[in-house]
Amino acid sequence: MKLLWLVLLSFFIMGCEDMIELEKQSYVIAVGIDETEQEGIFLFTFQIANPEVGSIASSVGSEQEASETVTIRGTDIMTATTTANAFVTKQIALDQTRVIIASESLARSDQFIRIIQSAGRTPQIRRSVQLIISQEDAATFIKNNQPTLEQRPHKYYQYMLTRAKETGIIPDADLHRFFQITEGDADLFLAMYATTNTDPKIDRGSEDNFYAGQIPKSGGNPTQFMGSAVFKEGIMIDRLTGEETRIANILDKTMEMSELLTTYPDPLAPKYRVAADYIQSQEPIIDIQYDAERNHATINVLVQFEIEILAIPSLVNYSQSEADKATLEKSIEDYNEAITKELIKKTQESYRAQPFYWSLYARKHFKDIPAFEQADWNKNIYPNADIHVSYQLKKMQFGNLLDDTNLNEVRD
Amino acid sequence: MKVDKKLAAFEMFSLTMILIALKLTDTTPSLFAQKAQNAFWYIPLLAFIVILPSLLILLYLLKHYQAKHLINLLEILLGNKLGKAIGFIFLLLNITFISLDSRNYVEQIRNLYFLNSSTLIIFVLFTIICIFGAIRGIEVIGYTAKIFFPFIFISFFLLAFLIYEELVWDRIFPIFGSGLPLIVEESLLKGSIYSDFILLTMGYSAFRKSHDFNTGGLVGLLFAIGVITFFFLIYAVVFDYNSIEKISFPFHEITQYVNLGDFFTNIETFFMVFWLLATFIRFILLLYLLTWLFGAIFNIKHFELLILPMGYLVMVVGLVPDNSVVNELIYRNQLLNLMTPIIMGFPLVLLLIHLFKRKKVEN
Repeated sequence: MKLLWLVLLSFFIMGCEDMIELEKQSYVIAVGIDETEQEGIFLFTFQIANPEVGSIASSVGSEQEASETVTIRGTDIMTATTTANAFVTKQIALDQTRVIIASESLARSDQFIRIIQSAGRTPQIRRSVQLIISQEDAATFIKNNQPTLEQRPHKYYQYMLTRAKETGIIPDADLHRFFQITEGDADLFLAMYATTNTDPKIDRGSEDNFYAGQIPKSGGNPTQFMGSAVFKEGIMIDRLTGEETRIANILDKTMEMSELLTTYPDPLAPKYRVAADYIQSQEPIIDIQYDAERNHATINVLVQFEIEILAIPSLVNYSQSEADKATLEKSIEDYNEAITKELIKKTQESYRAQPFYWSLYARKHFKDIPAFEQADWNKNIYPNADIHVSYQLKKMQFGNLLDDTNLNEVRD
Repeated sequence: MKVDKKLAAFEMFSLTMILIALKLTDTTPSLFAQKAQNAFWYIPLLAFIVILPSLLILLYLLKHYQAKHLINLLEILLGNKLGKAIGFIFLLLNITFISLDSRNYVEQIRNLYFLNSSTLIIFVLFTIICIFGAIRGIEVIGYTAKIFFPFIFISFFLLAFLIYEELVWDRIFPIFGSGLPLIVEESLLKGSIYSDFILLTMGYSAFRKSHDFNTGGLVGLLFAIGVITFFFLIYAVVFDYNSIEKISFPFHEITQYVNLGDFFTNIETFFMVFWLLATFIRFILLLYLLTWLFGAIFNIKHFELLILPMGYLVMVVGLVPDNSVVNELIYRNQLLNLMTPIIMGFPLVLLLIHLFKRKKVEN
C-alpha cells in the first residue's frame, strides 16, 4: 500500500519537467538585430543582465559587470539563443526582454517584417517589448550604450523610455502597436529612434528640433533617444525629429502624453524665446467629414491645450498687460499650427499616409470592413483630404512669480 | 442536526458562471473573429438569443414532469428506448466536444507556462486532477465553485481594470465587422457554445428545489453572457480586427501585456493561478456530468466508479488532433456548427410531443 502511494505521488513530480532554477537562466534585456551580407541570416546581439549587480545579495567588493553582451549570427531569435549557448553558460531566457533594437539599414529593407514576425510568434517575447531603431548597427549601439548612473540594464531601459515617452519626444512603440498598425494597413507606425553617434547641430532653433545624435551636449551617456522612425507597411521610409514626433503624439489620441517643456519664439522680443510647460489635458478633437460619392474627406482638427509660462528671458511683462498676453497667446497658437501644418503637409505629399492613427475616426463612416477596405483610407482618402488644423489655448498661467525683475531698476 | 447536503441557487449560479464564462479565456474569441472580424464581440449575445427559447423549454419540461435529469425526461417523453438512443447521440457529441475542449485548455497551459513538457504529460496530470476532483461528487464541486467563484471573477475584473488604458473604443467601428449577413450566420451557427448548460441539467436532482436550479441557472447564464460580451469587447478594442484573428489566446496575451506600476511588471502568473483554478473546477464538473450521463443511459447506479475510465476516454480522444491549430480551427469549429441545430431542435421536438401528449390526455 505504501508503495502504491509512492508511485501515485511520483506523478506530481512530472510538473517539475519544466522547472529551471533562477540561477540557471540568463535574462536577455535587449535584443539587437542587424543585417548581414546574406539574405535571411541576421546578426543578433543579446545584452544579458547580471541579476547579482545592484541586489542586496551581491557581496561587498565583488566586482562584476552589470551585463554581458554577445553577438551571434542566426536565422531567428530563438535558434540564435541556442547557438549562443556555445559560449553563454546558462539557458537564455527572453521573458524579461524590454527592447528590440534594429539597425536603420535593416529597418529600411523588406527583411525587417520577416524577422519581427517571428518575434511575435515566440511566446517568450511579450507584446509590450519596445521597438527601437538605431542609426548605427544595433550591435554597436548596445556596445556603446554605457549608462553610468543606472547600470542595471532592465532599469535603464525602463526608466529611460518611460521618461522620454512622457515628454513626447519619442513615441510609444511596442510590438503590439507595431503589429496592429502594420496589419491594419491604414496608418503609419512610429518606432523610437536612437543613436550613440554624436553629430551635434547647434542652430536648430528650439530644444527638440533634432534627430537623435544631433543634440549638442557634453558628458553623460552617448546614447540619445530622440524622434522616431516612420514605417509604412513594415518598411522604414523616413525619420522624424523630436518636435515632429511630439506633434504626431499630440494628434494621436492613443498616445499618452501629459506635459512637456518647450520654448516658443518671443513675439515682442524676437531674439529671445519663451519657455513654457505645454499641458495637453484633453484629447484632440478630430472631426472627419466623409463624402462617400467622391470618396473624399474633410478633416477638422482642434487641439485644446494649456500653457504654464516658466521663463521669459526677454523680461517683457506679459503677465500684467492684457494686450501683450493676447499677443503671446496668439503667437503660441500660430506657432503650433504652423509646425503641425508643415508635418501634415509632409505626410500627405511625401508619405501619402499618416502616423496619427486617424483611421480610427474614418472607420465610423463605414458600415463594414469590406466597405472600409474598398474605400482605401490610406491610399485614396487621406492624401487627398482637406485638413484644417487649429490650436486653442485654453488657459495660460505664469508660474509663481507675479512680475519679473525690472531690468532698469536693477541696473540703477 | 440534519444538514441538507443538496445544492442551492447560489451554487448553481457559481457553477453556471464558471462553466460558461470561462469560454472567454480560451480560443473561442479568435474562432469567432476569423469570420466576423471586429464584430465578433456581440456574437455571444446573438447566439444566446438564438438558443434561449430552447433552454427555457427544456427547463419548463424538466419542472413540469419533475424529471430527475435530462435522460429521465427523454425517457418520460419519448419512451424508454428512443429516449436512451437520443441520449446516446447526445453523449457521443459531448464526449467529442469535451475532449477537444480539454485539449484546448491543455495546449494553453503548455504553450504559456510549460513549453518543454510534452502535451501528453500535461494531459495526464490534468486528467488525474479532474478525476480526483470528480470522484468527490457534485455537492463538493458545487461548494468549491461557490467558494472560489468570487476570487476568480475578481481577478478577471482586476485584469479588465488594468488593461483599461489600452482600450481604444473607436475600434468597434465599422460596427458590422465583416458584413451583417456573415455575422447573423455565425451567430446562428455558434449557439452551441452554451451546450454545456444542457449537460448541466443532468445535475437537476442534486438541487433542493427546481426553483433553485432555474433561478441560479438563468441568472448565472445572463451574468456569464454579460462577462463574455464585456471581455470580447475588450479584446476587440485592444487588438483590433487584423490582430485578433492571429492571436490564439487573447486572455493570456492580455495578462502578459499589463503591468501593475513600475515595480510589478510581469504579473501573468498571478492571473494564471485563478484561471487554472477555474479551469479545474470546470473540467471536474464536466467530467462528472459526462459520467452521470453515461450512467443514466446505461442504468448504472454507482456511476462514480466510471469516472476513471471516462476521464481516460476523454484524454485519448483529446490527443487525436495533431496540433492545436487543427484542433481549434477545423474540428472544434465544425463540431460547434454541427451541434447548434441539434441543441436548438431537440427541445422543440420534446415540446411538440409534450403538447401532443397533453391533448391526448384531455381528450
